[in-house]
Amino acid sequence: MSASQSAVRSRAEAVQVSRTFDWMILFTLFTAVLGGYHIHYMLTGGDWDFWTDWKDRRLWVTVAPIVSITFPAAVQACLWWRYRLPVGATLSVVALMIGEWINRYMNFWGWTYFPVNICFPSNLLPGAIVLDVILMLGNSMTLTAVVGGLAYGLLFYPGNWPVIAPLHVPVEYNGMMMTLADLQGYHYVRTGTPEYIRMVEKGTLRTFGKDVAPVSAFFSGFVSIIIYFLWHFFGRWFAKTDFIADDAS
Amino acid sequence: MAATTESVKADAAEAPLLNKRNLTLGMLLYLVFYSFIRWYEGVYGWSAGLDSFAPEFETYWMNMLYIEIVIEVLLFAGINGWIWKTRDRKVMSITPREELRRHFTHWIWLVCYGWAIYWGASYFTEQDGTWHQTIVRDTDFTPSHIIEFYLSYPIYIITGTAAFMYAKTRLPTYHEGLHLMYLVAVIGPFMILPNVGLNEWGHTFWFMEELFVAPLHYGFVFFGWAALAIMGVVNTEVMAITKLLKKDLA
Repeated sequence: MSASQSAVRSRAEAVQVSRTFDWMILFTLFTAVLGGYHIHYMLTGGDWDFWTDWKDRRLWVTVAPIVSITFPAAVQACLWWRYRLPVGATLSVVALMIGEWINRYMNFWGWTYFPVNICFPSNLLPGAIVLDVILMLGNSMTLTAVVGGLAYGLLFYPGNWPVIAPLHVPVEYNGMMMTLADLQGYHYVRTGTPEYIRMVEKGTLRTFGKDVAPVSAFFSGFVSIIIYFLWHFFGRWFAKTDFIADDAS
Repeated sequence: MAATTESVKADAAEAPLLNKRNLTLGMLLYLVFYSFIRWYEGVYGWSAGLDSFAPEFETYWMNMLYIEIVIEVLLFAGINGWIWKTRDRKVMSITPREELRRHFTHWIWLVCYGWAIYWGASYFTEQDGTWHQTIVRDTDFTPSHIIEFYLSYPIYIITGTAAFMYAKTRLPTYHEGLHLMYLVAVIGPFMILPNVGLNEWGHTFWFMEELFVAPLHYGFVFFGWAALAIMGVVNTEVMAITKLLKKDLA
């Protein structure tokens, strides 16, 4: 091809071509990130995300932010550092949550008949928006990792509080004190129920009461900082445009 | 004047840069097919999919497994064989406009790949979680596995390899060398299928509660990360298309 030739015949056509590619790229990026992020999240934190009785004040608060800050950090590493688009974390989380909501409604409810109010997904959006805003204002990966990562962990529980609070009120059932979410779990016994019972009855979750959630969130924020750094570099690697020469293959 | 008239005629007869009909048909093909599959699961999962020793399980589920595997092998060989057989042997000498047209066709494949990844990795994979949390499995080939592992995963593999083959055989950008992230974006999700071997071996070996976060499943997680390599493909495409347009779009 000639170095001076353009593939389009006018500026207007160039703009139209460019916008069309934008939509096709956006759709593909969105669905590919959705698929990869969803399979990652459901298999590293899924059980805490699937069921309200797993959404406790300790392990849910700890696990969900740590395993979910991964893809947002990686996508930010491409979209911000290459295109100055401050939407990497929000795009990832919106993609994940759309995939989750479709599934919980169409399959958890539509195929196996769990009510949606036992299997709705966790809300990850507040932390994602804060991550994007900090990156946009600070233009610093270190600042985003340290302040954004910590905020991502700390904001998770408050971000979910309005949804989960009604299910964390105490009830007495057959002489035992439990939460309403626990009661849902007892009525909808699943093949994974024994492991949940072992986890929830272990340690200080029931005796330390209200102190558990903020401490867990703080710990989660600390680990999220480290995970952000790691996944930022994963994101940079995945955004490479290198070729392997044919003779080397 | 005559030359101008000829040029206008040529433009009018020229194929559009983006074949919107193929894009729409491609998207609809997956949507309609998977809607049918979801209906089939809803009906025959409960009526014939609970006991793998029952004759109706063989009729509605095992036969489906055998048929889909044969069709997938044929499709994989047919589509990739056709793309290779009809490859452009003078790919470096095409006009910029033809190259742009081929980038659009390539993006139809990539849009379909993203769409297929969504159905496989998101829709049918999480669906598997709720089925196995509800029904105690008595076989490796459960209704949700027959759909998830042996239908939706091969379909995105076929779509991904076809996209890669199209780029490699028809676009100058990918002609000389192998694009590392394109390979990762196609081979990583492909490796999820062989990883099913580990998964099923583990489920057969240990009787476990149906935890999705069990370490046995981490192979799927590792290979799922490879979907991020689509960012490397996007970056390469953006550079190639910008070069072709040579216009200031600001």
